[in-house]
Amino acid sequence: MDRSLLPDSVRAGSASTRHSGGRGLALVLTCVSLAAAPLLLSVHYVDLLVFAALLAISGLGVGFLLGQAGIINLAQVAFYGIGAYATAHVTVAWNLPGLLGLLLGVVISAAFALVMGLPLLRLSGHFLALATLALMVIVTQLFFEWDWLTGGSLGIGGIPKISLFGWTFDTPMKFYYFAWPIALLCFWMLSNIADGRPGLAMRAMRDSPEAAEVMAVDSTALRTKLFVLSAILGSISGSLFAHYVGYISVESFTLERTIVMIMAPVIGGVRNPWSALPGAIFLSFLPELLSPLGEVYRILFGLGLVLVIILFPQGLLGIANWRRVK
Amino acid sequence: MNAIVPSLLQVEGVGHAFGGVHVLSSVSFNVPHGGLIGLIGPNGSGKTTLFNIICGFVHPLTGRVLFDNRALDRSSNVVQRSRHGLLRTFQTPKVFEHLSVLENVMAGLYKCSRGGVLASMLRMPLARREMLRMQELAEATCNVFGLGSMMQRPAGSLTAGARRNVELARAVVSEPRLLMLDEPSSGLAKEEVGQLREQLARINQSGLAILLVSHDMDLMSMVDRVHVLSSGEIIASGTMAEMHRNPEVQQVYLGL
Amino acid sequence: MSGELLLQVTVSGLTNGFLYALIGLGLAVVYKGSAIINAAQGDFAIVGAIVTVLFTQSAGMPYWVSIVIGVMAAALLGGLMEVACIRPMLRLKASEESILLATVGLTFLIGAVVLVVVGKAAYFLPPIGGEAQVQVGSATLQRHAVIVVAAALLVVAALAAFYKYTHLGRSMVAASSDADGAVSIGINVPLMRTFTFMLGGLIGGIAGVLQTPLIGVSFAMGIAITLKGVAATVLGGLVNPMGAVAGGLIIGLAEALAVFLFNSGYQNVVTMGLLIVIMIAMPNGLFVTARRRGG
Repeated sequence: MDRSLLPDSVRAGSASTRHSGGRGLALVLTCVSLAAAPLLLSVHYVDLLVFAALLAISGLGVGFLLGQAGIINLAQVAFYGIGAYATAHVTVAWNLPGLLGLLLGVVISAAFALVMGLPLLRLSGHFLALATLALMVIVTQLFFEWDWLTGGSLGIGGIPKISLFGWTFDTPMKFYYFAWPIALLCFWMLSNIADGRPGLAMRAMRDSPEAAEVMAVDSTALRTKLFVLSAILGSISGSLFAHYVGYISVESFTLERTIVMIMAPVIGGVRNPWSALPGAIFLSFLPELLSPLGEVYRILFGLGLVLVIILFPQGLLGIANWRRVK
Repeated sequence: MNAIVPSLLQVEGVGHAFGGVHVLSSVSFNVPHGGLIGLIGPNGSGKTTLFNIICGFVHPLTGRVLFDNRALDRSSNVVQRSRHGLLRTFQTPKVFEHLSVLENVMAGLYKCSRGGVLASMLRMPLARREMLRMQELAEATCNVFGLGSMMQRPAGSLTAGARRNVELARAVVSEPRLLMLDEPSSGLAKEEVGQLREQLARINQSGLAILLVSHDMDLMSMVDRVHVLSSGEIIASGTMAEMHRNPEVQQVYLGL
Repeated sequence: MSGELLLQVTVSGLTNGFLYALIGLGLAVVYKGSAIINAAQGDFAIVGAIVTVLFTQSAGMPYWVSIVIGVMAAALLGGLMEVACIRPMLRLKASEESILLATVGLTFLIGAVVLVVVGKAAYFLPPIGGEAQVQVGSATLQRHAVIVVAAALLVVAALAAFYKYTHLGRSMVAASSDADGAVSIGINVPLMRTFTFMLGGLIGGIAGVLQTPLIGVSFAMGIAITLKGVAATVLGGLVNPMGAVAGGLIIGLAEALAVFLFNSGYQNVVTMGLLIVIMIAMPNGLFVTARRRGG
């Protein structure tokens, strides 16, 4: 890939403003707003924000791959589903704690991503995107076929609430204060990767794979590691989802979902590791705003998505990027 | 030639063909430690293929390449050779367009550092110290190459001459053993070529061996020894002065 | 394993194969003309079929008229897609990944429109050529299946003739292989690209009309259809229309074999798995020996 993912003007600069005061302030404001929100909003909106947190986590994974390495990963919903089904099984069928379910989901997703990643990530551009799409179709089809494992279209119900150190997260407000800290932690960690040595290597690899090779960047290894990381995030998000809604079925794991997951960081402004956060909040509230229009909302949603890709490659955080012109 | 100390780079009987057409036939030469060796030849002489074989982009059909007495074979790809200290530049400088000049040069230190995904993710002290050190070294090198005033600019916004400097700085910052330069003066104005010549002389004096492929006689005048390639074979070796007097060499160039 | 059953399976596999070949052909036409892989290609089939359904069932028009309208609608959709989506992106110098992502978004959008207009149900069209059946050895085929094969071959031949013998066709080839050269001889390159997409839409619409009597059509099918077409065209070498046909047949046969050996639910798994393997192992398709990286 010789060209950048989205049409940044070359003036836009890079993401190395590690200690820029502006970013720190924005972060603090975000955390404060998120902490205060449930106290000011009705349960209905808190519920929406919980879903936003889950979307943010899985969006973070795909957004990172896209923004840092230029890889379009359309398979995220597959790992989301693996995480959900794993934890559903562990808690419902085996009666073990939810955290173990989360862990199992992560292990399976990571292993699967590693095995599939090594051959797939040799591809690039169109082919890689299509291969991840094909992977998604395969896995979601298996969710449907292997109904002895997943309950097929009947799904798995009665998933118990998850607990940590004695606290059970059985209300939207409690789950909110469980999910958002996890989300913020994940964002922080991935942002650190972007600022660090691996982030540098990825952005180099994206601009010029041959020159990066001469700099001894092993691109397949790096891309595989990030793919596994993205899958782990998808899995965590899926497991949390299962414990929040209590019932999952194949209807939850569709092409639409995987598209929404990659839209979150795109809307936020893909080159910024934090982009999935505003993107997820936006996407979670949008159906709410459009629902008075009825079925037509899906069309507007789709239209909005396409327009954002075409017209706003810098996303919502694009303004922040322009400030980095040095 | 020093018969006791082995050369840094030894090319032995390298031959290659593409689709049945022989491009190289039993090419042998070496580059001594800290040497400045030139490779010239008309278009189609096999220079590019030989270049790509030595730096690991292509694997030769016959013969072998030894670097620091270690044979470089199929398992030793570009990444490995880079780690051993064998780097190359490209005819059109391949800088990382969206990265700043400083980040470009820092990228050159990637292989000298170890902080991985986990260490960066948790902001472990090792990773942070390393990044700072990389930044310091990169800054120092930028200054040496006259890039001090443009360190924060995206590399894609630079002129051809500045990009060449970025590429060189990036290559040199990791203190490699051998730097292979592919037509480094292409796209440069006359004064810039002069500056390049000085840069290369300075780099070489610090002990870094250089293998230079170039059409530019101004640059070529600095080499210790030059090998002339024609139709896949080395037809002459010696100093530039000797090559100017060599009738076979003159014919190969005039016959173009 | 009875020979009769195997023959039956082969025959239906080949029929499906020609359908996949048509989708692949549409993809190849668009790729050849614009270097864009259109993830919404399958939606041309859906729209073509749905419009035909609407005109046949709701407006009560004769079948053939509805088919023509449906196919035209798909072609128009292709043109609209190029003008409204592709052209602005190319003007803004978007990367090939962005464009692919946009077409994926379009799949979703078109699916949403279809959902709103006709709902979630699957619709079928009457088989072309009626309910009549044909014997091939011990296997029986609907006459419709024979028509599928004939139509597919006709489309391939017509396409080849179009590119070779018509002024428009030759202009489109010129515009895609050497844009600057084409401009210098007065060819309107963006318009050629619009026509390319319209042609892709046309072929997709034909495929949709042909496949609906066999497998029905519903709002969410777009991407699955596209992916099978991608498998066919990648196997055939992306820009080679005849290759898309060969690729489609191989995919159709492989799928039929999978249904025969395993459960019918696994057919997508097999075809998608095959797609992945092909992209990794044979990115330039079966018929090209040059070693370039695919993508």
